[in-house]
Amino acid sequence: MDQTEITHSEITRAETELSVIKKIMEDSRNIVADNGWHYIFWGVMVTCGLIANYIMALSKVNINYQGMMWFILMISAWIVEGIIERRKAKKRKVRTFAGKMLSSLWFAAGISMFMFGFVGTITHAYNAVYICPIISTLLGATYIISGAIQQVKWMQLLSIGWWSGAIYNFLFPSIHTLIIFAGMMIFLQTLPGIILYMKWKKNPVSTY
Amino acid sequence: MTDFNYQEIDDVIHSRIRTAIMAVLISVDEAEFTFIREKINATDGNLSAHLKKLEDHNYISVKKEFIERKPVTRYKITETGIKAFEDYIKKLESIIRK
Repeated sequence: MDQTEITHSEITRAETELSVIKKIMEDSRNIVADNGWHYIFWGVMVTCGLIANYIMALSKVNINYQGMMWFILMISAWIVEGIIERRKAKKRKVRTFAGKMLSSLWFAAGISMFMFGFVGTITHAYNAVYICPIISTLLGATYIISGAIQQVKWMQLLSIGWWSGAIYNFLFPSIHTLIIFAGMMIFLQTLPGIILYMKWKKNPVSTY
Repeated sequence: MTDFNYQEIDDVIHSRIRTAIMAVLISVDEAEFTFIREKINATDGNLSAHLKKLEDHNYISVKKEFIERKPVTRYKITETGIKAFEDYIKKLESIIRK
């Protein structure tokens, strides 16, 4: 075996190499830059649905039609999301594990919201007025995890807003719950989405 | 100063650019050529040569496709590559510990 002595310079070189490797790995692993598109898209869609639902409820439109409106809106939104996401995925320069986790998290949250919104009410498991606070609670949990993955602390803090709104809407359920939830959608989802978009515009790194 | 066996060092990874490429690819699911180039600040020709060497040793896999008529090359680390990179890191750590 060709054995030689390790010099101090070789040890220094090994240390430098390890620290460079560590830095590259950390930088690459943390790329989950989000351009905020999803937040804006879903925020606008749900806000429109809530306002339409509020008007329908005030006009005493049959609850089945209100459900139908939501079903059509949500299915259309999923289709549009699917098409756009497919196109974006092809253009992505890098796919990270954090990005995969984020996609899985929001996909799971979306399916859960669908279950709470449609299956829960169709089966009369609970009154439809509680859909908003249930979904707010779920969004609070999703935002705190999403913020942790994206390393955006202020996004995690939005969970407090979602949970506070949920408590209020659980305690004081009324027809106005819809409009309160619409306000939450604007301030806790659409506006943060716009902030993310503006940040991304300034520094457009590859999205996950 | 202590004894050290140089034959134990993996020559395929033991180069600044190839080590950096492996560090990038082990951290992501897959990455495009342009992304790796941006990350490690290498020229196209130099990077291609080093990627080819890693590919020849089955440390990375390559996928070529056309997106909107533009050629796109994506790289992914293989199981062999992961194992080799882990061994390489262990080796560096052992040098420091000695």
